[in-house]
Amino acid sequence: MVLTLLSIVNALYFLYGSIDWIMPGASQPVTDRASDIDGLFKFMAVFGGAIMLFVAGYVIYFAIAFRARSSDSPDAVGVQIHDAPKLELWWTVLPTLLLIVLTGLSIVVWYKIQFGTAAPGLTTEVIGHQFYFEYRYPGLKTSVFSKTSPMHLPVGVPVRLLITSTDVIHQFWVPEIRLKAAAVPGLVQNLNFTPLRTGTFDVACSEFCGVDHSLMHGKLVIEPVAAFKKWLDSENKTAAAAGGAINLAAGTPATGQALFAQKCAACHQIAPFEQKLVGPGLLHITDDPAHPALVTGKTPTPEHIAEILQNGFTGPIGTMPNRQANGLSNTDIANLVAYLSSLK
Amino acid sequence: MHAGTSTTHDAHDVHDHIHPPPEGFVRKYVFSLDHKVIGFQYFFTGLLIMFIAGSFAELVRLQLTDPKGAIMSHQAYNTMFTMHGTAMVWLVLIPLVTGALGNFVMPLQIGARDVAFPWLNMASFWILPLAALILFSSLLFGGPHAGWTEYPPISLADGTAGALWCAAIFTIGISSTMTGLNFMVTIMKMRAPGMTWTRMPLFVWATFATALMNMIATVALSAAVGALFLEHVFNVPFYDAARGGSAVLYEHMFWFYSHPAVYIFIIPAFGVVSEVIPTFSRKPIFGYKMIAFSSMAIAILAFTVWAHHMFPSGLAPWLQLPFMILTYAIGIPTGIKIFSWMATLWGGRIHFTTSMLYALGFLITFTFGGITGVFLASVPVDLHAHGTYFVVGHFHYVVAGGAVMGFLAAIPYWYPKATGRMLSERLGQLGFWLFFIGLNGTFLPMHWLGLEGMPRRYASYVDFAKAVPDAVFWNQFETAFSFLMMASIGLLAFNVIWSLRHGKVAGINPWGARTLEWTISSPPPYYNFKKVPEVYGRPYDFDKPLPYRNTDNELDAFPEYGKTVMPTPQPVGAGV
Repeated sequence: MVLTLLSIVNALYFLYGSIDWIMPGASQPVTDRASDIDGLFKFMAVFGGAIMLFVAGYVIYFAIAFRARSSDSPDAVGVQIHDAPKLELWWTVLPTLLLIVLTGLSIVVWYKIQFGTAAPGLTTEVIGHQFYFEYRYPGLKTSVFSKTSPMHLPVGVPVRLLITSTDVIHQFWVPEIRLKAAAVPGLVQNLNFTPLRTGTFDVACSEFCGVDHSLMHGKLVIEPVAAFKKWLDSENKTAAAAGGAINLAAGTPATGQALFAQKCAACHQIAPFEQKLVGPGLLHITDDPAHPALVTGKTPTPEHIAEILQNGFTGPIGTMPNRQANGLSNTDIANLVAYLSSLK
Repeated sequence: MHAGTSTTHDAHDVHDHIHPPPEGFVRKYVFSLDHKVIGFQYFFTGLLIMFIAGSFAELVRLQLTDPKGAIMSHQAYNTMFTMHGTAMVWLVLIPLVTGALGNFVMPLQIGARDVAFPWLNMASFWILPLAALILFSSLLFGGPHAGWTEYPPISLADGTAGALWCAAIFTIGISSTMTGLNFMVTIMKMRAPGMTWTRMPLFVWATFATALMNMIATVALSAAVGALFLEHVFNVPFYDAARGGSAVLYEHMFWFYSHPAVYIFIIPAFGVVSEVIPTFSRKPIFGYKMIAFSSMAIAILAFTVWAHHMFPSGLAPWLQLPFMILTYAIGIPTGIKIFSWMATLWGGRIHFTTSMLYALGFLITFTFGGITGVFLASVPVDLHAHGTYFVVGHFHYVVAGGAVMGFLAAIPYWYPKATGRMLSERLGQLGFWLFFIGLNGTFLPMHWLGLEGMPRRYASYVDFAKAVPDAVFWNQFETAFSFLMMASIGLLAFNVIWSLRHGKVAGINPWGARTLEWTISSPPPYYNFKKVPEVYGRPYDFDKPLPYRNTDNELDAFPEYGKTVMPTPQPVGAGV
């Protein structure tokens, strides 16, 4: 009996010690919240594991110990008891106490998650799109898109993420941080935490958001403050450079056609306007009598087409991401415009 | 018809109330008013759809054998898991545990000749194939692909298929509500004289709690999907934030139904286990009142916990606390039940029939699903585990390891009563081990995959497989084991059909069980009870004579009347 108890305690202690593998990054917590949540998880794993062993162990033990034997008479019955009030009181009170303790511990961690982070040193907006996250930083003139570049956060600075969506419900989740929040259209939620160590982590969408939900994935780089500032500067410089003149005359339709298949064909086809995938068909973009103007209301000149490719578009017909989201360089835009203008 | 109190009956008067059985195939087997035939209709329809929905699940599992997605496009995969969940919840589980089991067993257990409203009962059943037809016809329009929850705004992209999904769920909701009402009235008004509330078999208590939830909760779902239908078809912006609606509103209404829905599956399974364990332990159920009242407590608490599905989804922070605490509170009545079943095993004479194996398996897998449920109820842990395979694993331990195992325990238990033949024990026990091993092999690894970072509803997991290389192995492992479950259900279907002709003749009471259905012939006659029996005692006292008077003549001819005799004790593992 004592030996059994000791081995069970030993097994649970082993479980407690070895549970780290199940939680990503548990050995070196990425945020202070991660270690709080892991502590709560371990507490539950140990007590839940104990209850599981207790139930399964006794079910199997009773089933074997009290099995009917071939020597039994056909009308043999078991012990005819109906209840045992004291025993029932115990198995009502003890789980209740355990759940009260668990409630207390959960509330402590919950309070830290909701209210425990110092005033934010950095507030970043996270906007869900199908199928990428857009990040907006204060002081950065352009957005960062999870498709093409990772999100960056400085280590040791309290961070507030403001999370929302422009189309459907997404969910922003970094497993190592442990926290997630849904990106709901029309609602801004926030997540507060302080990154504790540097590294590169996965960002995933964990709420079903459409066909390519499983491809909505990005990276998060947590780096020293100096490196973070350097990154912000370089992003600003790239944005400024990208804002430079586009040499439309240098575009070649053939290169544009290859690029179209790669970058645009998921949403547009070379077909009449009405044949929409996500956006309209583009075969007659420059010569459609039914649609003499672009969706922006402007005449279909190469310059105006390039404008849509640069800035994206939002209107009743739908939303098209801008050049950063689609990963288009100045040359790319010139080639695409050349290709689109050549269509008849 | 008869109030719960004991009165004397004029036998002549009672005989006048027996209607002649219907004539002709259609009135007998198609548009039947007989609760037993309707039970069969639910059973075979449910089993058929279970095969279809199960095949969808196997396609889902096959897709995940390769991180890039092995067999189909993302769009097709999304349709498959949506159809799997939708069909399993509304067209398989609810019809099987309430429609099939509730219809066949409950009126027999309370000594009634039918349910209170037989025409309503027939209408409830025929809505099921109609709803199934609507749902499966959506596949012709590309199929819904936003998950069984069909959250807007993403579900609005489903177009016609999404509108058909709404129509199917709304339709089946009518059936659930009517069945709930029917069963409530039947149990309240039609119990045999002398059957007080605390002399009711526990399966009847479970059916009562389920009927209450079915009647109240389904209305919220109908409102939610009704509004979604209007948004699909007439562009009424109930859930469109840009035009003053709210996407979170749908989640609230959906879960106000769908959390109780989980208890609608599981509480009848509790009822089955509460019948099977005493019978095969030859012992009274331990803590009868606690088990009965905890079913009611769970049914009532079920309405107060819905937002625990939405902790990260846009709930005010302070609102997370009451939902967390109330969810924990459900752990207490559930624990009481599990401990009471364990105490029923203690000191018993346990016979390892197929039913009993499923009931014992249920105790283990359901307890596991219950414990992981406590993890998810805790807001901080849920913020990590929400939306991952941990949730999928937890849910399937509760539903496949709880509701389905309970259902599978019920089939061999009541099949002899329903058909007059026994199911093959050898095939049944083989089926149990296939199901039990398959279930654990399929759903256990999901827990760590989820915590390690694998979100649910992923058609491919290339990036996750880079972060956790073992993920590919575990997904293939799960797929392999999932086929064991499929084989087990196939074996059950074969057994059910084969035994109709070749099973051993069952007799009135093959298990030596003590509730009222075991006092009449197998299968029961059209009118169930020739004379309405009187009840003067509790149902599970195995050492006493049966507590019924005025029972049918068939029983008087039964040589062992008064004693409950187990046919032949079987050694452990017999027939495996």
